Amino acid sequence: MTSGVSDPGSAGASPAQAARLRMRGVSVDYVSANGEDISALRDVNLEILPQHVLGVLGESGSGKSSLSRAILRLLPPNGKIVAGSVEYDGKDILRLSPSQLRELRGAGIALISQEPALALNPVLTIERQIIDVLRAHSRVSKQEAMARTRAMLSEVGFPDPERIVRAYPHQLSGGQRQRAAIAQALICQPGLLIADEPLSSLDTITQAEILDLLRKLKREFNLTVIFVTHNARVLSSLADKVVIMRQGGVRATGTLEQIGAEPDDYVRGLIYPEKTLGRGISRAAGNASSSTQPSSAQRSLAQPLVQISNVSKHFVQRRFLSRKKFAVQALKDVHLEIPQGSTVAVIGRSGSGKTTLARCIAGFEKPDSGRITFTGGGRRNVQLIFQDAGTALNPRFTAEEAIAEPLDIGRQGTPAYRRQRALQLMEESGLDPAWAGRKVGEFSGGQRQRLAIARALAAEPEMVILDESLSGLDLPLQAQILCLLMDLQSHHGLTYLHITHDLSFLPQFADRVVVMDQGAIVDACSPAALFASSHPATRALVEASESLHAPGLEAVL
Amino acid sequence: MIRYLLRRLGHAIFLLFGVSLLLFFLMQLAPGDFFSTARLSGSISPASIHALRTEYGLDKPLPVRYLRWLNSVGHGDFGYSFAYNMPASALLLPRARNTLLLTVPCLLISWIIAVPLGVLAASRRGGWLDRFYSGGTSALLGMHDLLLALLALLLALRTGAFPTGGMMSLDAAGGLWANWKDVLWHMALPAIVLIVGSLAPILRHVRSTMLEVLDSHYIRAAEGHGVGRLTLLFRHALPAAANPLISLFGLSMALLIAGSMLVEVVMSWPGMGPMVLEAILARDMFLVVGAVLLSTIFLIAGNFIADILLYVFDPRIRINA
Repeated sequence: MTSGVSDPGSAGASPAQAARLRMRGVSVDYVSANGEDISALRDVNLEILPQHVLGVLGESGSGKSSLSRAILRLLPPNGKIVAGSVEYDGKDILRLSPSQLRELRGAGIALISQEPALALNPVLTIERQIIDVLRAHSRVSKQEAMARTRAMLSEVGFPDPERIVRAYPHQLSGGQRQRAAIAQALICQPGLLIADEPLSSLDTITQAEILDLLRKLKREFNLTVIFVTHNARVLSSLADKVVIMRQGGVRATGTLEQIGAEPDDYVRGLIYPEKTLGRGISRAAGNASSSTQPSSAQRSLAQPLVQISNVSKHFVQRRFLSRKKFAVQALKDVHLEIPQGSTVAVIGRSGSGKTTLARCIAGFEKPDSGRITFTGGGRRNVQLIFQDAGTALNPRFTAEEAIAEPLDIGRQGTPAYRRQRALQLMEESGLDPAWAGRKVGEFSGGQRQRLAIARALAAEPEMVILDESLSGLDLPLQAQILCLLMDLQSHHGLTYLHITHDLSFLPQFADRVVVMDQGAIVDACSPAALFASSHPATRALVEASESLHAPGLEAVL
Repeated sequence: MIRYLLRRLGHAIFLLFGVSLLLFFLMQLAPGDFFSTARLSGSISPASIHALRTEYGLDKPLPVRYLRWLNSVGHGDFGYSFAYNMPASALLLPRARNTLLLTVPCLLISWIIAVPLGVLAASRRGGWLDRFYSGGTSALLGMHDLLLALLALLLALRTGAFPTGGMMSLDAAGGLWANWKDVLWHMALPAIVLIVGSLAPILRHVRSTMLEVLDSHYIRAAEGHGVGRLTLLFRHALPAAANPLISLFGLSMALLIAGSMLVEVVMSWPGMGPMVLEAILARDMFLVVGAVLLSTIFLIAGNFIADILLYVFDPRIRINA
């Protein structure tokens, strides 16, 4: 299982340098609700040298979050470290007294977590939250604490710390919150920073900005960092060494290049998720010489399924306890044609109007002006699959109930037919029909996304709108779901509208890409031409995406 | 903010109209009126009863009676008590003052006790303190106010340390301070009963709200930054848990007034409770309507105070992005 466990070479290579953190044989168990022990980490060995960056790479459920929490002994109440030792600067963390542990947290080892929106207290100002951390670890005067807070805030890229200190988290954007959380983590100059998926809830452009910031801070403060992620491309420019996690164990250790060369399907799936898209490669190849691809030529002849002309939409917002209204222009004179059987990707930053467009097409919102016409008149069957669609399913339903519900509501056919259909849809979506009786809550995140797809297909839609449907998932999982979607498209002639801020997989998945900015479509091109586009909004997205990519890996791909 | 408060005031007046209308209608549905019992005694002739009903306007149709009542509200009388031969407001207002004198301090003391206890229990989830806490609140919830009141009376009788009823000693004389001391001494037992009776639900809410907040990402993040335990509990977690608790505070004001009715009757506190009970039994209609309207006003006032507190304490409401 743990083939490439801690390689002795790295420790021996620099004997003068003692490891900043060393984990030996660490195992973590969770006690489940019915009293069983579930193993989350098994015999994990790793070490990190001062001023190095260690990347921890793995899919969800591989134990990487348990790893980062175990280091700080911040496991949830039902989790416990059952074996091993965690040494920080030679001291065993597992033997620290509660007050020594409190000293270590924040001052010795600091943590930045996944959701900046959730990691900051909603009712305290940013200043209060940073100062409380500072004063928990050092006796500083109020003036000094305030000065150091402001200095740290400008260090993390706020041009106006004076305004930010007074702000509450809900007044900041996602990227600003993550910056504030980073300032909070670094205020005591910790010896080790654990960044647990610090980018995954941000849009692509913000991800690139935060990654740049972390690189800069690493240089300036000589930080030692453990960077936990599912995205190998982020690590290539950052990590000195990478640990690959699978099912709670360390699967491989080494530099990204060393590991990438290993003939291991799991490792390759993590490092090169695109490679799992078989059809993707053929289409990407086709894009290079697009005239030779028959399918896209046919698609361009296909008549449009949806025709969107001059669509505008604005929302009126009102502040609580105030009469002041202000209008938000969500869509500005949008023209778009979606050919039957094709995939159109809509990309743009958060707040660019992508989701409003989708909601207008699905009929949830009525545009202020303009028309949305479906070929053959009337609104055809459109299904929406949301981000975290899995969480939108009632966890107490069985898989079969969840899938068959649209059929039950429509009273289509006999109960036996509906059951039959649900099982068939499960199979099509890559789920074992034998699991039909399991509760939705028992399925994993990726499986729930498959359930959501099966449920959407139950209504036999002509068009499926994928509203950030993949963004909650790991890259390897995203690749698997995309494969499924492409399969289903070719079987059922589905039309996809793919709304995303993430450019990964676009060349493989989309036939056409439109770029939205501030409610308007500002650019439209083929996925291949996207990377050469000169429009500033497109450039911003492409550059952000490229800075998240591994320069070294691009060649391999 | 001012505009919002004015709007809330408008809603409140509208609500009071609705409540009074509904009350008139419901009282109409029940058979009989204040003079029905008089008919049973042979000493009063049916003719004089009829004359009395005409005199008090009870023979008029419902809309006319309602309008007459509204007119008396305009004069500040809130109708007329048949039993006491006095305007209802003159009877109710001193009683309402006594009720508030008892309930408002009880409410505050309950919260002052419940908040730190709830915070501590939540912070020691599953520990002996928490278990004791859960067991204790269950026992309190299971105990009826009536039982508590009777126990308190028993205590008063056996020990003689406390008066068994009333608000002041008959022989009370002396300065302001001596009078206050006398009132406090009379208040002690009903207050204890009320506090103990209302404590359990508040304790449970504080604990469960705190548990939810302590489970949140931001508290775990703060813990991960090494923020000290007390700072974490009282400066980080408690303000974040305040929002639902403040709403409950507004509601608990109304609940406490409802609960105090019983305690007042059993422990002879001269608040609204005994008078309302009497008025209902005697079908002294305007007194009942007035009392119900007063408790509606208390409820509205409680929610109003909660709204203002929310505005002050919750930046998410106070400041928009």
